Amino acid sequence: MSEPTGLDTEVAIGTPAIGKRPVRPWMRIVFGLVGAGVAVALPYSFNAVDVDVFSSVLYLAIAAMGLNLLTGYNGQISIGHGAFFGVGAFTSAILVSDYGWSIEATIPIAALLAAALGVALGIPALRVKGLYLALITLGLAVLFPVVAKKYVKGPGGASLKILNRQEVSSRYPDLLSDDQYRYFLCLILLVVLFWAAYNLMNSRVGRSMIAVRDQELAASTVGIDVARVKVATFALSAAYAGIAGSLSVMVNKIADASNPLVYFQLSIEFLIAVVIGGAATITGPLLGAIALVWIRRRTDSADDFLPKLLGLENRSEQLAPAMLGGILIIITYVLPDGIVGGLRRLSNRIRSGGSGGGPTFVPAAEPDANSPTPP
Amino acid sequence: MQGIRTGRKVMLTMAALALVATSCGGRSDDNSSKNNDGNKGTSGGTDQPADGVFAVDTSNCPDNGTDGIDGDTITLASSFPQSGITSAFAQISKGYKAYFDKVNADGGVEVAGKKYQIKVVDKDDEYNAAKTATNINELVGPDGSKAFAVFNVVGTANNLAIRESLGDLCVPNLFAATGSPAWGNSEYPWLMGSTLAPYTVEANAFATYLKENLPDAKVAMLVQDDDFGQAYEQGFKMAIEGTDITVTKVSTYMAGTSDVAAQVTDLAASGANVFFNGSTLLACPEGLKQAASANWDREYTFVSGTCISKTLTGLAGENAEGILAVTNTIDPANPAYADSEELAEYLATLEEFGEEGVDPENGIVAYGYTQAAIFVHALEQADELTRSAVLNSIHNLDSEGIGMIVDGVKVKMSADDAFMAENVQMVQYDAAAAHFNNVGEALDYEGKTREISPEDLVDS
Repeated sequence: MSEPTGLDTEVAIGTPAIGKRPVRPWMRIVFGLVGAGVAVALPYSFNAVDVDVFSSVLYLAIAAMGLNLLTGYNGQISIGHGAFFGVGAFTSAILVSDYGWSIEATIPIAALLAAALGVALGIPALRVKGLYLALITLGLAVLFPVVAKKYVKGPGGASLKILNRQEVSSRYPDLLSDDQYRYFLCLILLVVLFWAAYNLMNSRVGRSMIAVRDQELAASTVGIDVARVKVATFALSAAYAGIAGSLSVMVNKIADASNPLVYFQLSIEFLIAVVIGGAATITGPLLGAIALVWIRRRTDSADDFLPKLLGLENRSEQLAPAMLGGILIIITYVLPDGIVGGLRRLSNRIRSGGSGGGPTFVPAAEPDANSPTPP
Repeated sequence: MQGIRTGRKVMLTMAALALVATSCGGRSDDNSSKNNDGNKGTSGGTDQPADGVFAVDTSNCPDNGTDGIDGDTITLASSFPQSGITSAFAQISKGYKAYFDKVNADGGVEVAGKKYQIKVVDKDDEYNAAKTATNINELVGPDGSKAFAVFNVVGTANNLAIRESLGDLCVPNLFAATGSPAWGNSEYPWLMGSTLAPYTVEANAFATYLKENLPDAKVAMLVQDDDFGQAYEQGFKMAIEGTDITVTKVSTYMAGTSDVAAQVTDLAASGANVFFNGSTLLACPEGLKQAASANWDREYTFVSGTCISKTLTGLAGENAEGILAVTNTIDPANPAYADSEELAEYLATLEEFGEEGVDPENGIVAYGYTQAAIFVHALEQADELTRSAVLNSIHNLDSEGIGMIVDGVKVKMSADDAFMAENVQMVQYDAAAAHFNNVGEALDYEGKTREISPEDLVDS
């Protein structure tokens, strides 16, 4: 079983499997059980507001995984994934509030519509690469709220859709409260989607995606249909973001296009989650999402005391954005290959130290794809 | 290895099946209520005693009327943009915090015979409604026990995002800082607007002014491409029905941008002799500048009440000469008020309690100060310190001259009027002196917002 190669091991792609040892099964079991235990215990140990924050981590991770498939594994840059997320969000919100659908039933539709938009964008994306593609996707993120604004009319004429509590309530009210139900739905989808991504990346298709990223020309000479792989990846990636958008409506009860910057900011957040988690890894997007939300909440509360610490008495300076930026710079500097890459290097060092040295081309055990860890 | 993979497959298959089951189960029933309690908490509407005194219906409320009061401290929660392009709105909080600090320093506010301190906790939402919801949920707590009321959340979408959950918890959402006509919707009595005049009132006041001064006016409108712009456009068109005033062209610009050159050039070419500049933030002075450079020959120019702060009008400089607007708070820079008690008290408060670097002449600081003054006044009038009593007290106010409210403007609501301050004063800018002067007396719209606003904007 070959591990998906990370961006950090680009050297290893040319010289595959040097020093590759089978992953230790007991580590996977331990990580898997602890992760699963914590993930299941979380909604029973925290109040409804905190559980919703955990749910938002989960949908952020799903969207980041979508972007990871495209950018991490397939090498196509997108800074417009917020738009796919928005398509998913508005699809669900409109179907539920205007057509009386149940929110769960809208999730596949949201995924399909987002995927369709992904194809529409993926085809022209065949002609452009790198920064040019980034610019096109950026345009999409900026355009999306403008289009949504034209067609969506909510309360007071504002371009948003709001769902009421009944529309996103628990299907099993005796068993799970609303927030717990939302959390578990997000969790199940996360597990399924991450598992699907894991299997995909270990399949022929996944290897073609990586091949297209690393050596497009070489890939085409060995019979890979580069155009098809690229467009299909775009569609799949968009579908993930669409599902995440749909889940966000369930958690936040709002799909909002009134602030034109929201979807652009989301796009950047997905990218941050992928990069700090570890691009082209399975657990990276989840760890990145957890880290991003955690850091943001830490810096937010730091605004209460930090200005005084810096001698800015009697001013309530907003320092959170600057601190978040600073921390991200430090993370990218210290962990250029993300949290997962850092953990791998750490684990390699420990293991090679324990077994008496040897080169460290050994990929460490990656925690199971289905074992979310708590923030 | 094989064993693990199989085990995981079984688990995931089960998870997948569970998911499929939930979605299938979901398809069969519609969005009708599965919980038995009403979705708006107060869907029964408001109890209206015969004498027209407002009393909110608390029959669906949890027993939490005095939550958020810790000893002698009343905690208020707020969320508003403190970073990003809309962070200018954070200045509002400097006004109300200064007022609360003053009240606290004087011993606190007296409610039903006991003195209380007022504390405000707030978070940055970057003007993103989903973040507002998270912030407020957190600050108020899942059961509404952490804050007594929500105070002055900025933005229409942002207030809509928290409207239902706060209504369910019966936590008052007071002094919402936008002029959306939707705050008049009596289905959501726990959400209350502020003294910002509803945008439709502004539009109607301009139409009334034209009826008197230029009955055959041809008006070109620049509005934002959202609910804010629609309120102006629809409100104005409603107001000119049956008159000789015509709208030659309406151009929209994207919220958050300031480049309106193309739109203004179009409007100038439409043959209009009146410019209704409904834009806000930087687009507003930019619109005035572009109108001047297009040599647009016009009789009158109206600007949005959100554009009359010292900063924004100052940016337009001499291009703002003679522009008209309506407001209901005193322009701190207007020398006509130099000797007034209100202004003196305001300036003294800001001097002593204001944060460093806050400009008291900034109109939105005065607006924030005024909301705090009205809130404190309502607390003093309340029968007891409970959420419903305070909400009722604000709703039953009938006062003039609180905070920086202009003479002739009443802070008044009633059982079927949920708009706080509807009367407005027309003001005109004097570019050389860099301040607004009052034009005529305050215009009376008390209790009329509902009839001059499109129904679908109010009851939504």
